[in-house]
Amino acid sequence: MDTINSYLNNMFAALPKTVQMEGIKQDLLASMEEKYHELKEEGKTENEAIGIVISEFGNIDELMEELEITVEDEENNLSALAPEDTWGYMVAKKKAGFMIGIGGMLCLIGPALLILLVVLAETGFLQGILSEDAAGILGVVALLILVALAVGLFIFSGMMLEKYKYLNKGFNLPQHLRSEIQQRSSAYASTYNLSLVMGVCLCVLSPVPVIAESLINNDSSGYGAVLLLAMIAVAVFLFIYYGNIKESFSFLLKEGEYTREK
Amino acid sequence: MISSDVIRGYNDTFILYMLLDGESYGYEIAKNIRKLSDEKYIMKETTLYSAFTRLEKNGYISSFYKDGTLGKRRTYYRITPEGLAYYHEKCAEWLITQEVVNKFIKEL
Repeated sequence: MDTINSYLNNMFAALPKTVQMEGIKQDLLASMEEKYHELKEEGKTENEAIGIVISEFGNIDELMEELEITVEDEENNLSALAPEDTWGYMVAKKKAGFMIGIGGMLCLIGPALLILLVVLAETGFLQGILSEDAAGILGVVALLILVALAVGLFIFSGMMLEKYKYLNKGFNLPQHLRSEIQQRSSAYASTYNLSLVMGVCLCVLSPVPVIAESLINNDSSGYGAVLLLAMIAVAVFLFIYYGNIKESFSFLLKEGEYTREK
Repeated sequence: MISSDVIRGYNDTFILYMLLDGESYGYEIAKNIRKLSDEKYIMKETTLYSAFTRLEKNGYISSFYKDGTLGKRRTYYRITPEGLAYYHEKCAEWLITQEVVNKFIKEL
């Protein structure tokens, strides 16, 4: 049975992967399997049955001829990407990455600020300015405002990319644009790698302030946690912002996770 | 065994005939064609599914899904009124074809 399956997969390997094709392939497989089972029931050996099924499969070109028009149509339907759309998409993706990055950062800075205010009040730095309770309330309010701001940024960046949603349906990147994007992409690789290394380092090092603080004075007051959150916030920004730029390259070039299935 | 070249123009007719009595699916149709022709004609899978595609594109048959014996989804086909008209057309055409070809056939 595996033989039949892989035979069919080979036959279809070079053909475009469309819904129609997949449907025909499944129907063919069902037919071949049923024929195989019947031949086995008639007392044929496995090899005989597979031999008959494959010899009666026919010529895939016949099927292609019948489907050719549809296949061509789909290729033509993919619109060639205009330069302004291409660059527009890249700019929008970069801006969106910046906003989402800032948003992500704000989500971490909120709690950091809250802890900072509470710690400052506890340790007496805010004496005469804010009571401990007031500092806590102020911190929570600040946190909520920052999160709201972040959500706003997320929504806004989503709206900005909405315009380019049609690209998900498929597009043809003209050769001259492709080579230019490829150039930019390879030029960008080192920047991206650097951002990645820095982000990872920040994450790895982020517990250091907490450890250091507890070593210096035993009742660790929380400044370490504030620093930890701040470091992760910066890392999050690095990952999202530079990651989005990288993603715009991969998306346009159909590389990495955007590789077109063949 | 008949070569598929000879019979090419009548594959559609065979399939439509098999659907006259009601809906059916790929393998069943192929099996019945084989049986009815006393094993003298075996329609290859690609021929069969090319014909399905063509017939459906022309509106002579319609397809729908139904669960098969093994619980797998199976594509069933049904003849349309246009398909029936086309079938009658092909039958009439065959009678003339037969008549013409017979004029050139001589027992030696």
